Amino acid sequence: MKFGKRLKQHVEETLPGWRDMYLNYKDLKKLVRLISSSLEYGKSEAEFVYLLNNEIDKFNMFFMEQEEDFIIRHKELQQRIKRVNESEPSSQEEYEEEMSRIRKDIVDFHGEMVLLVNYSNINYTGMAKILKKYDKRTGGLLRLAFIQKVLEQPFFTTELVSKLVKECETTIDELFPTAMVAVELKDATITMVGEGIFRNTVAALMTMKEIRNGSSTQSHFSLPALSLPDTELIRSFQLNSPIPSI
Amino acid sequence: MTTFSVKQMRLLTMYKGSLVTMEAQSALSFQRSGAPRQFSNHGAASARSSTLEDIYPKFTNPQPSFTSGAVGHIFSSSSGMSSDFHYSSVISHSNISEKAPFVSQSSGILQSTSSQYMKETNNSSWCTDSLPDFFDYPQNAPIQSSNLEHSIMPSEDLLDYPQNTVIQSSSLEHSILPSEDFGKQSDWQEWTDQLINEGDALTPDWNDILIDTNIVDPEPKMAYHVGGSSTNSMQAQPLISQSSGEACLPLTATPCASGSQSKPRMRWTPELHEAFVEAVNKLGGSEKATPKGVLKQMKVEGLTIYHVKSHLQKYRTARYRPEPSLEGPLEKKTSVEDLSSLELKTGLEITEALRLQMEVQKRLHEQLEIQRNLQLRIEEQGRYLQMMFEKQCNSGTDKLTAPSSTELPSLQANPNEPGPDPVVGPFDEGTSKSGPDVSQPAKRAKVNK
Repeated sequence: MKFGKRLKQHVEETLPGWRDMYLNYKDLKKLVRLISSSLEYGKSEAEFVYLLNNEIDKFNMFFMEQEEDFIIRHKELQQRIKRVNESEPSSQEEYEEEMSRIRKDIVDFHGEMVLLVNYSNINYTGMAKILKKYDKRTGGLLRLAFIQKVLEQPFFTTELVSKLVKECETTIDELFPTAMVAVELKDATITMVGEGIFRNTVAALMTMKEIRNGSSTQSHFSLPALSLPDTELIRSFQLNSPIPSI
Repeated sequence: MTTFSVKQMRLLTMYKGSLVTMEAQSALSFQRSGAPRQFSNHGAASARSSTLEDIYPKFTNPQPSFTSGAVGHIFSSSSGMSSDFHYSSVISHSNISEKAPFVSQSSGILQSTSSQYMKETNNSSWCTDSLPDFFDYPQNAPIQSSNLEHSIMPSEDLLDYPQNTVIQSSSLEHSILPSEDFGKQSDWQEWTDQLINEGDALTPDWNDILIDTNIVDPEPKMAYHVGGSSTNSMQAQPLISQSSGEACLPLTATPCASGSQSKPRMRWTPELHEAFVEAVNKLGGSEKATPKGVLKQMKVEGLTIYHVKSHLQKYRTARYRPEPSLEGPLEKKTSVEDLSSLELKTGLEITEALRLQMEVQKRLHEQLEIQRNLQLRIEEQGRYLQMMFEKQCNSGTDKLTAPSSTELPSLQANPNEPGPDPVVGPFDEGTSKSGPDVSQPAKRAKVNK
């Protein structure tokens, strides 16, 4: 139940409004077990598919809602930056303050968008896994065809959000004055890691790595293990953060 | 019937409940839609719907069988296991009672019926959509036959994803031959013909649409999305041009009534939003502008006042509460505290911390993109293998060797390059490149980044 555990963990740590939006992996797994012992195959498959479709709808709705919000906020941030730069600032200090607020906001915004892409991916992974389990347990051939459909769903077609993410990165590069100095784990950083979005993105990255750590049933349908050069660095964020992450 | 434990019964009732809700709503829609075709088949279907009646009792009365969520499929008797010829539709469901349901508009493929639907869609509440699925059934004859009967759901079945449209039309054609059980074959023929004719015309557009290009389209596009549903052209078609794929996916879905007010779930794009903002500004700003006014100003076909209304609401919120994040109460407290504590820290430290955050986030995003690409490739390869396998089966036993050079989206290559590798099919013997199963683990090491 490796993925299941990871997913549960992730859901617990995730942004509050998102917790109900993830795949009901556990329940679906139970259902698969149920079905494998059931004699009425055709009916069971229909029910299973019905549930899966429900999940897909859930993802789509949430995803598109978020996407819409992102589109709006993206534009607004750009407007905000424009306004600050164009209007005559009352004082240098106020300008700096506003800029620093904008910087924080935009970095968090970037993070949130990435988290949505992560959301999409985790749910897709879960679906692929549950379909695989279904096929394995029932000897069915549901997976291949069904997954094709999933691939086309709005929640999985994350191109737009990714595009916004990249645009955000460009904007951010322009906002941050000087080139990046050596990154040290200063106190400020550690505190910030404990906060909201940053904490989530760190957690998401670690979760992804762990999900992909070689499974017992590796096949040509499996994803390879994830190798991050700064795994240790990132993991240390979690360890040092004031908010304990299990 | 199998005896289930208490726990199992709970699980069953859980989605039985949602199933029943959905059927009740869809029942209404069917009465409204007045599409004769749908009723023409249900007669045949319900007469034979014995197996599903236990679980879906509502279907004993004249309701179209499509709402049973039954998986219908048309099994071609000529081949053993051909997914090409499989066709099934499952009706979906959404949690209509709780959330705004997916409203969908019928597929433009079925031009004649869609106009019917369209008249009713605008003010009526529809919900979810059917999810035509393709899957293979094992060789289980009795169940198959019963499913065959339940598969007669023309309108829903034919509403499908664009690139599957063509496949569908062919599968329908093939399916008609072996299935003498179908009550109204003439209807099928009609639907199929329509589908074939429309499908070809529409597919090229869809192919463009679905290609992930980053060409920015200056014109506002309309994109409807209904969960799990296939796509449709409708009036959205004229607006859809070659632009980023995800923005233009047309919509479709099965008309399905819902109790609550539902609006079609639309997928906004930056371009559309630009048009929206322009319209709002012309009307004097977000406070002054009314949904009706904006709708008129935007002049985007297919856009309804509901879309505009909800979007306007979001827009107003975003303007007057810049960067409302999704933080819960706990997190909000933290951020308020931190704001003051942040001010104590030097600007440089904050900036550095932000940079670090950016690095992590960028990394996460990068990995997500890679992962997604891999997943796409994996499925592509799986699809390809399946196809090859079937070709082998169909072409008879005398042809044991697969074609020597075939294009296979290979996972062995760099995931970022879709270079075709001549890879031999599964049945080939004694070649330099081993079959996918064997080579993958070894070669995957290269794929790792």
